[in-house]
Amino acid sequence: MSLIDALPSPSFKRRPWHPNVVLLCLSGAMLAAAWLLSFVSVAPNRIVSGTAFGMVDAISWPGAALVSLLFIAMAALSSVPTSRHYRAMLGIIILILLLMPFGLMVAGHWLVDPSLPQARLGIGAAYWTVLFVLLLCLVELRLRLGLSRWWPTLLLAGVGIAWWGCAALWLDRLALVQEFQAREGQFYQAVGQHIALVGTAVGVSVVLGMLLAMLMRRYQRLQKIAFTLLNFLQTIPSLALFGLLLAPLAWLAANVPPLAALGVSGIGNAPALIALIAYSLLPMVRNTYIALEEVSAETLQAAKAMGMRTGQRFWQVRFPLALPVLLEGVRITAVQAIGLTAVAALIGAGGLGTFIFQGLGQAAMDMVLLGALPILILALIVDAGLGALADALRPGGQE
Amino acid sequence: MIELSHVSKQFGDDTAVEDITLRVAKGKFCALVGTSGCGKSTTLRMINRLIEHSSGDIILDGQAIEQYDPVKLRRRIGYVIQSTGLFPHWNVARNIGLVPRLLKWPATEITARVEELMGVLGLPVGEFAHKYPHQLSGGQAQRVGVARALAADPDILLMDEPFGALDPITREKLQDELAKLQARLHKTIVFVTHDMDEALKLADHLVVMRDGRIVQQGTPLALLQRPADPFVESLLGGLERGLKQAALTRVKDHMTSLGPTLPAQSRIPADFSLRQALSMMLRDHCDRLTVVDQGDVPIGELSLRRIVKEAQLDKVSQRDA
Repeated sequence: MSLIDALPSPSFKRRPWHPNVVLLCLSGAMLAAAWLLSFVSVAPNRIVSGTAFGMVDAISWPGAALVSLLFIAMAALSSVPTSRHYRAMLGIIILILLLMPFGLMVAGHWLVDPSLPQARLGIGAAYWTVLFVLLLCLVELRLRLGLSRWWPTLLLAGVGIAWWGCAALWLDRLALVQEFQAREGQFYQAVGQHIALVGTAVGVSVVLGMLLAMLMRRYQRLQKIAFTLLNFLQTIPSLALFGLLLAPLAWLAANVPPLAALGVSGIGNAPALIALIAYSLLPMVRNTYIALEEVSAETLQAAKAMGMRTGQRFWQVRFPLALPVLLEGVRITAVQAIGLTAVAALIGAGGLGTFIFQGLGQAAMDMVLLGALPILILALIVDAGLGALADALRPGGQE
Repeated sequence: MIELSHVSKQFGDDTAVEDITLRVAKGKFCALVGTSGCGKSTTLRMINRLIEHSSGDIILDGQAIEQYDPVKLRRRIGYVIQSTGLFPHWNVARNIGLVPRLLKWPATEITARVEELMGVLGLPVGEFAHKYPHQLSGGQAQRVGVARALAADPDILLMDEPFGALDPITREKLQDELAKLQARLHKTIVFVTHDMDEALKLADHLVVMRDGRIVQQGTPLALLQRPADPFVESLLGGLERGLKQAALTRVKDHMTSLGPTLPAQSRIPADFSLRQALSMMLRDHCDRLTVVDQGDVPIGELSLRRIVKEAQLDKVSQRDA
């Protein structure tokens, strides 16, 4: 031992610092985004691309200070992560989400010239970034606080309704709202079509997928062929598949009158549904098959030993135990189908994709948003709802 | 009664079980013992037709098992396995009531039976009926497993290493309870284990298996006294064999009447084993014990010479027989 070791060392003992790095970084990112990216844009009419404005221009210094304060508070809370602080952060996030439409109202009041009836307010990059990062924060907080998937869903639903109210009452300067008001009837119809297409495609593929999975369990040889075929189908680009179906279906409609009477044609619902089902089958069949095969052999052996018949073993033991994994399959399938259905608009099947492609054609980004946002929201709702259902069906409530 | 005669089982070219002949009389406890992979579990599963035997006859209550509907056969045979095989999506009450439900008993009878069995196995209904298997400890889950096997009151119980996954203390406790239960219910039990002490403790009839064949069978005492070969002897514990034999013998069967000499200081209850008597002698540095009844009244005495000699006598009488 040297003399140095014996000397009292200056003590720099500090409490170890264990911030929640994820939330800290996200808070910093939001602060940076709010200051550096464009807050809103203002355009004199629908086609001309707008002029971007920063946060200070849009909501003035007091507004910018409030926003910065909220993000700094989040960063401070995340540097000492306790369950109380997490809850406080959840509160701040909800507050920010609720304040967001008011920011737009203020910006609209300051920046949009009331004498121009066509003038409109676009949502800037800062807004989208903050919204996206806030959702990431919610995911992190949900995991940290151990909340079920229902909580954020309910929360977001509440926020969504608040936004809807603001948009309907005060935000008529917002480009998105103007696009919506211009085609309100068309919008609801498109949402209905979209849901109907997804519902039919997922419904059919759930039934077909279960049948196929059960057949595959019985005939092992079928398994390889079916998976190869379904994997191959999955690799065809969706647009190409829609195109490929055009010719044969048009021929069928022309030559087989009963099919034509049923509404089958080269474009429209028939090819859209066929393609959607073809894509949905792989995740559905794969999950169903794995779900059914994964059930513990020991449990099934016990069921047999207790004197359960084949049908009883399937419906009372194998199927209920497979159900949570099976529902995961339905969830993946449904979310995938909601996205794919957008493309179906190209072959005349309608749905929310119509706005996306029309908007792209007219270079009107806000119209694209009018189609894309509801698709996103629909996907989030279905994802959370089916996920929570699968959780609730886990054996004995949890595992 | 269960009778197996010249039963074999082939899986492809592999012979899992070869030429097994075995008889378990009604109400008897038969243990199949052997190292893992010796065919003991296969033998057990052939009895309730989870595995179909390749040749030979398996006769249950005078009728070959092929003549039973396998499903109905299994419903009248209780079955307990190591990892309990409880259904994770059903609560305890539903798990126990399975076979009665399959047999379409009226709901009220099922409930009554489930509650009765939970009482018998020391699972308070209020606390456990609505718990799920993953909320139970290993010992509790195994009690539920036993209750489920007993639910429809089968005459026959097959148990496949039921206590194998439990800690030693829980295992011993459940063994004691099974012994008590068996003394009351007199089921015909076939019990598979690799734990020789467990088999010696519980079985009336011990079957030692190796490589799919029966090496030796008989009462535990008979095996302890005359193991057929070094394999059985090593399974029985080699040098410990003498003590294990003493553990199976009761003091009251070997005591002599009180002699004229002063009674010994150390006292031992009459239903203790000779092993415990030996241990007491070693502890108290004496070679004589006073045997007392439940009221602590002296009823006889036991000497070290007597214990050693009795063991000799047993051996001689066995050889003569």
